[in-house]
Amino acid sequence: MTDKTKDNGNHSGFGCPFTSRRQVLFGLGGAGSALAFGAFPARAEEGDGHQVTDAPTGLNSTLERVPFYGKHQAGIVTPRPATGIMAAFDVVARTPEDLETMLRKLTERIVFLTQGGEVPELDPKLPPPDSGILGPVVAPDNLTITVGLGASLFERREFLTPLKPRTLQRMTQFPNDALDAERCHGDLSLQFCANLQDTNIHALRDIVKNLPEYLVLRWMQEGDVPVIPPKPDGETESARNFLGFRDGSANPDSNDGILMQKVVWVGEGDGEPQWAHGGTYQAVRIIRNFVERWDRTPLKEQEEIFGRKKDSGAPFGGTRESDVPDYTRDPQGELTPLDAHIRLANPRTPEADDNLILRRPFNYSNGVTKSGQLDQGLLFIAYQADLEKGFIAVQTKLNGEPLEEYIKPVGGGYFFVLPGVSGPDRYLGQDLIEAVSTADTPI
Amino acid sequence: MNFTRHLRAGALAFALSTTALTGAMAQDASLDLVEPLAQYKIYVAENTAELVKDTEAFVKAIKDGDVEKAKELFAPTRTSYEAVEPIAELFSDLDVSIDARADDYEKGEEDPTFTGFHRLEYGLWEEGSTEGLDEYADQLMEDVKELNSRINELTFPPETVVGGAAALMEEVAATKISGEEDRYSRTDLWDFKANFDGAYKIFDLLKPVLEEKDSEEFLKTVQGNFDDVYEVLEEYETDEGGYVSYTKLSDEDRNLLSTKVNTLAEDLSTLRGKLGLG
Ligand code: HEM
Repeated sequence: MTDKTKDNGNHSGFGCPFTSRRQVLFGLGGAGSALAFGAFPARAEEGDGHQVTDAPTGLNSTLERVPFYGKHQAGIVTPRPATGIMAAFDVVARTPEDLETMLRKLTERIVFLTQGGEVPELDPKLPPPDSGILGPVVAPDNLTITVGLGASLFERREFLTPLKPRTLQRMTQFPNDALDAERCHGDLSLQFCANLQDTNIHALRDIVKNLPEYLVLRWMQEGDVPVIPPKPDGETESARNFLGFRDGSANPDSNDGILMQKVVWVGEGDGEPQWAHGGTYQAVRIIRNFVERWDRTPLKEQEEIFGRKKDSGAPFGGTRESDVPDYTRDPQGELTPLDAHIRLANPRTPEADDNLILRRPFNYSNGVTKSGQLDQGLLFIAYQADLEKGFIAVQTKLNGEPLEEYIKPVGGGYFFVLPGVSGPDRYLGQDLIEAVSTADTPI
Repeated sequence: MNFTRHLRAGALAFALSTTALTGAMAQDASLDLVEPLAQYKIYVAENTAELVKDTEAFVKAIKDGDVEKAKELFAPTRTSYEAVEPIAELFSDLDVSIDARADDYEKGEEDPTFTGFHRLEYGLWEEGSTEGLDEYADQLMEDVKELNSRINELTFPPETVVGGAAALMEEVAATKISGEEDRYSRTDLWDFKANFDGAYKIFDLLKPVLEEKDSEEFLKTVQGNFDDVYEVLEEYETDEGGYVSYTKLSDEDRNLLSTKVNTLAEDLSTLRGKLGLG
């Protein structure tokens, strides 16, 4: 098996992990607006040869730009940069018209923020139109902003209820959860990812400032992943989480378009409303890690809990992160315990192929708890074409796993990520809005 | 929606001559603003006079040991303060003494320097008694009278008045929408109403000036957002003209108010610039 060519038995996804980033660098020379940066060939749904969960290399430039237009939204199969913010909002929009205006405005802001451009100058007696955090010219900095809709948005609006994606639902409590109502659910989710956290913060503030009549912030969680400078041989590894393990090793190959169509993107044959094709389900979980306790746990036990070596990330019996465990030769769990995290999450049986998900998490650190412990954990974000077969099925298999002693899910929510926007004359969610008016038209 | 209902009808017996008022205005106020500023000064004077009067009754109830009466008077007494907060806040020593909240103090309710409306609210609702409240009541009376006389002497800075509309919305957005303000009595909606009235008064007085300088569109949007707010608040009015407990506010209406407050804050934050004030 080649590095990062993820094996799921019956597909031949073969992403070349060693090609250099193809993302477009843009020149700032005098361009006055996002549009002035011209047309770029790449599409939002394309990866760049890296796996989504590869550690960022730290060689990134603030001029890097992820294309906005495409069949799918960016920020899902595009490589995960070093920092992210997940923010959930309540939406105040009572009519399809309100919703349309909101989505148009949101699209307009996202295009500007992700593609970059100059901030207009106003009379200094007026509040400036931009927070100024990034200076007078907003650099794209690899920013992606990914928009998802929660079940409550559909359920609380009669005109949307019939159009709700099939498996979209309100997140329920799993046995090990201790959900904090103030960090759960929402009508709309925005996932911000960029090289620098300030770029995400700038973007979030821009949206809060520009859409006050529609959006009420419910909760947000910042996160990041450690940067690892590229190795001389060009090999990449997955970024480590706050338990010190490489996280993302066995992710399905995000460069394999056919596999992504099956695992991540909603399409024909999924029994979903037409407007939802090209979208995906987003499962977000804020999972606290009891890091002090973890750091007092023997290494051997830590490794058995996950089923992987801490140093190399290799599965038991292997030597490299990309090696694939063969459970058929270990039916009793002598090598990899039967209740190891990776074995429960993916037993690598043919049936388990239906439960594949694409994980794209960040680590978070929120300060100190009342007990004087570190409040750290994983901002878990996963994408799948079917929420029930994906996240919910996998989490159900994980219920009761030994890792639970060291983790506590405290927040999150489920969202449906809108399909991409094909061009400048269109806006996010347009097919949904148009489906509403079609449904409304008396025959 | 009939707005006059929300505005205090008729001037009180404060015979403030326009010339005296104009003299009290800052020198650089543009000519257009003279009239709205004079009107606003009357509005504030009415409110602080009302505040003195209402506080007298509130304090008396406490000193009489009449918990029920004091509870009844708490929310309506505060409204005249909340309506003119942008001006009242100019005297930060009095603002702290009159309107600070427990979380402004490291020791919270136990802090001996925690005084004013919210200290009395704490005693009345949490402790259910007027015991030990006399000194706080006396202090409040003294502070309110002092505030009244200082405000009557005050030259109103035009940028504070014009900026006051947005400042009131910022107050609501930052610490009131969460229901932190009147946390023992849950009378927050009374304060909301007063804050909106205070902001609307300023906007309303500036309308003629804005009409000359700005698009109809802007005035329409702002007016529309105020209308929406009053419509929501109306649903929570009681027969006696007060408001139900803040806990009765639905999440949906809280979100709606929150978007309106923030949209008003954005729009009203441009008033100073539109009127050429620094
Ligand atoms: C704090 C919580 C978690 C931690 C620290 C954690 C950590 C890890 C680690 C270290 C691996 C092995 C490397 C890899 O393939 O990425 C892994 C694999 C995996 N995890 Fe988690 N994980 C957590 C929560 C979850 C949750 C909530 C789910 C889904 C419900 C999940 C699903 C998976 C899956 C599907 C794999 C790949 C298994 C395979 O195909 O071999 N994890 N996780």
